[in-house]
Amino acid sequence: MLRYLIILLAVLAPLNASAISPEEVMKSSQAAFLYQGKDFKARVTMRLLSSAGSERIRELTMLRKNFGAAGSEQKYFIYFYQPADVKDMTFMVYKRPGKESDRWLFVPALNMVRRIAARDKSSSFAGSDFTYEDVSGRNTEDDTHVITKEEKLGPSDCYVVKSAPKAGDMDYSYKVSWIDKKSFLPLKEEYYDKRDELYRIFTADEIKEIKGFPTVTKRTMKNLQSGHSTEAAFTRVDYNMGVDDSLFSERYLKNPPKKWIE
Amino acid sequence: MKHKFSLVEFSVDHPRLIVSIAIIITIAFLTQFAKLKTDTNPKNMLPANSDVRVWNDEVEKTFGLYEDMIVVGVVNEAGVLNKGTLGKISRITDEAFRIKGVAARDVASFPTITNVTAAAGVLKVAPLMTQVPKSDEETAVLRRDLFDNPLYINRIISKDGKTTAIYIPLEKGANGKEIADRLKDIVNKEGGPEKYYVAGDPVARDTFGAEMFKLMAIFAPIAGAVMLLVRYLMFRDIFLSVTLMMDAMITVIWSMGLLIALGFPIHIMSSMAPVFLMAIATDSIHIFNEFYFRYKDKKDKRAAIIETMHAVGRPVRFTALATAVGFGVLLFMNIVPVKIFGGLVAFGTVILRVLSFSFIPAMFTFVKAEKMEEASKDEDITSSKTSQFLKRLAGYGADKPKATVIVGLVFVIIAVMGISRIVVNNNMVEWFKPNSEIRKADTVINSSLGGTSLAYIVATSGEDEYIKTPEAMRHIEGLQKHLEKLSVVGKTSSVVDYVKRINLVLHDNDPKYDIVPDAKGAIGQYLFLFGMSAKPSDLDNVIDNQSRKANVWVQLKTWDVDAMRQVIKAADDYTKTHPSRLELKPAGIAYFNLVWNDEVLWDMLKGFIIALLVIFVILAFNFHSVKWAIVGYIPLLFTILLIYGVVGFAGKDFDMPISVLSCLSLGMAVDFAIHFISRFKGRLAEARAEGKTFDNALLKEALLWTAARPGKGIMRNAVLFASAFSVMLFAPLTPYITVGAFIVSMMILSAVFTMIYLPALIVLWRGWLFKKEA
Repeated sequence: MLRYLIILLAVLAPLNASAISPEEVMKSSQAAFLYQGKDFKARVTMRLLSSAGSERIRELTMLRKNFGAAGSEQKYFIYFYQPADVKDMTFMVYKRPGKESDRWLFVPALNMVRRIAARDKSSSFAGSDFTYEDVSGRNTEDDTHVITKEEKLGPSDCYVVKSAPKAGDMDYSYKVSWIDKKSFLPLKEEYYDKRDELYRIFTADEIKEIKGFPTVTKRTMKNLQSGHSTEAAFTRVDYNMGVDDSLFSERYLKNPPKKWIE
Repeated sequence: MKHKFSLVEFSVDHPRLIVSIAIIITIAFLTQFAKLKTDTNPKNMLPANSDVRVWNDEVEKTFGLYEDMIVVGVVNEAGVLNKGTLGKISRITDEAFRIKGVAARDVASFPTITNVTAAAGVLKVAPLMTQVPKSDEETAVLRRDLFDNPLYINRIISKDGKTTAIYIPLEKGANGKEIADRLKDIVNKEGGPEKYYVAGDPVARDTFGAEMFKLMAIFAPIAGAVMLLVRYLMFRDIFLSVTLMMDAMITVIWSMGLLIALGFPIHIMSSMAPVFLMAIATDSIHIFNEFYFRYKDKKDKRAAIIETMHAVGRPVRFTALATAVGFGVLLFMNIVPVKIFGGLVAFGTVILRVLSFSFIPAMFTFVKAEKMEEASKDEDITSSKTSQFLKRLAGYGADKPKATVIVGLVFVIIAVMGISRIVVNNNMVEWFKPNSEIRKADTVINSSLGGTSLAYIVATSGEDEYIKTPEAMRHIEGLQKHLEKLSVVGKTSSVVDYVKRINLVLHDNDPKYDIVPDAKGAIGQYLFLFGMSAKPSDLDNVIDNQSRKANVWVQLKTWDVDAMRQVIKAADDYTKTHPSRLELKPAGIAYFNLVWNDEVLWDMLKGFIIALLVIFVILAFNFHSVKWAIVGYIPLLFTILLIYGVVGFAGKDFDMPISVLSCLSLGMAVDFAIHFISRFKGRLAEARAEGKTFDNALLKEALLWTAARPGKGIMRNAVLFASAFSVMLFAPLTPYITVGAFIVSMMILSAVFTMIYLPALIVLWRGWLFKKEA
């Protein structure tokens, strides 16, 4: 019986797919890309490449915990290994949908935790080409979405979704995403500036299945105008480790528990 | 000689053939004009692989900077911090993003510039004005943010709060004038009561480039028309006047056509070539002058033509040679457009002379005899008023040689004093008149803000991470303080300012912490913290990836290259008194302008000096005598000394236009001496062939004859030349006015000096000059 049901679903799948709304595509994508599992951990190595060819390294451990379904609150805990002069720096983000995130930073040189208010939209994540929004996601309701076409990107069938911010306060005028129909991961994103010229490209370069969750383990953000690019590699990825709520506190920012940051 | 002579005869015998050939070649060259390419960027005077451009490119790459920046100043006498003006600033910034060629991500203005503040324990990093204030309270917050942050004062807000600026960097290769024009449209749409000023080097440079071509297109025909009119007044024959004009036009078309055909773009310098060639073409007036005199004596057209060419052939050829060499030496200079310009004018000069021996004699044959009769009626040295005047002039020199020379020496001494005051400088913004939009914009922004001219001082250490040490930070801080003592420096900013700012705000704005922290760790973490929240370019612009190098921004209040010289000297002095592991090197557009100025001007100056020497050699060859070369050289030197003396006293900088003129002045002024001396010696030889004995009376008679007859040609040449260039005095760009004034005075002076000083010197030195004869 189950077998037939699966066959039936498989037959119906394309029909379902074409009936899906752009909002649903983006919501599913958000869930697949940024809300997978109850919690998540990775060692992130970012290579920041300048147009002149020089390279800088950022190495950090990122922990994330969901508080609710996709699109709802999340907390991030970040511990820096590199560059050397910021070793032991920690960083915490409370992401609240529809509001600017709250961020706290522990500055080891001053042995001091500071709250930081900054704009997620445009500010760079640790000096890379990724913005905070690129790392933690954007509220899907802030944009109007249109499926412009469905096409293959490499071997994968994708929805191509054009998302334009409802408010005009973004650096870009719209974004085009290639969303994998199977995993709902974004495989590519193109950002167009206010002259409608392509200026930023995100690509998912490697996808691995970890604990059953397809995960983008290598990604690149390239800024065509400045010539900068950032490659981020995720290693030691894990899900559903049972991270305590108490980790996301000022106390642990100063003394991050070894078990979580390694 | 023989060959040239036969060219004249051939031309007289086959006039139609010669004219047809000339016209066919002209049409062939005209077709090349379709391929015309222009390059209005004076920057390209230095090749892309020149040291300064390579270094500047490297600095731009290392720090993610832009070659060019436009500054839009917004002034509101009631202060810019009000909802209305702020709304305008926000909209202008937003519109500027959309202009092609604008590096949108790095536009610096209220809505984009990063602001780091601390309030109630929260460190806030955000653009200064995320939204236009809706209430007075919000405006007050903005005001406090602005004036609390020393990074902003004199950069995006003036101390009195009346002026703000939007800094708009341009992508490589963008046209500054086009973008400035778009910006002007945008600000005009916003309207008053605010006043808007669009300034910056790219605006001046590209506007000048564009205006220059426009002016050339307007000026060249007007100058041509004026010359035509003056010629007509001189010869009363429209056909011959047109012939002379054609001579110039054909040369211009051939030379420019060849340049275009060879694939060279028309550069600012080569765009001046047509006017120069038209000027040089006036030399053929000597042929006309003599022809009319001869025709009057002989009444036989063919014989008159051939005899004329025989009599003036040698001086005409040597003057051409001198002019061609004067420009030709530029071929050996380093700067490509200078070479092209020199080659172009030298080529044109040769063409002019070939035409003088073919096209002009051929055209003479078409003139009807009775017309010629009519025109040559006045050509009599005893009745012509001009001739009489010139005779008196020469007579004065010949009669009172000592007094004349002494007066000259006094002038020379005064001139040398003036020359010693000449400053080699260049300021492209000052190429526009003081009341022009561009000059006004620059003046307004420079007087209320840090300045539109941007330089960098790059501090380089040999070691990664060194810039983050307190030692390096304090060194840079001291350098900034030292530079800001200069009156030409409006503002400096560097990575140190960010570090101090973050130190301050992390300590809840306690002024005690407005300093560089003592630990390297803290500095590194501050910068990281800043880089985590701000735009990546904020830090990239001031410190490199490895923290080996720091970039100090220096805003200058003037585009005078001398301002940059002062900055470099101050930086050097600072290095001497404060030894450090940091090596300081200048960069940026202001530095480029300084190097450009020095390279181009010194190259021209070098060319000028070589031309002076070579022309002396030519004179010596022409007269077969070093003595006569010295005599012929004196009026030329005298003219040049006097003009540069005036330039010095007038406080006019020795800039690009003046340097170009130096070469022209040489080639032209020497012509008169060559004509005078050649014809004078010819006259003496003729007299002696007739059996007259050489004595003072004969000497004086020959001098007066030379002044009256070929002298009239010289005077005509000078007047024609001067009248054409006087049109330039009404040009809207100051270099043209300079060129006009310079040429008018040079022609008149050198003609008059030739008439007075040559007779004076010849009489004074007769014993030395005529050893053999005596």
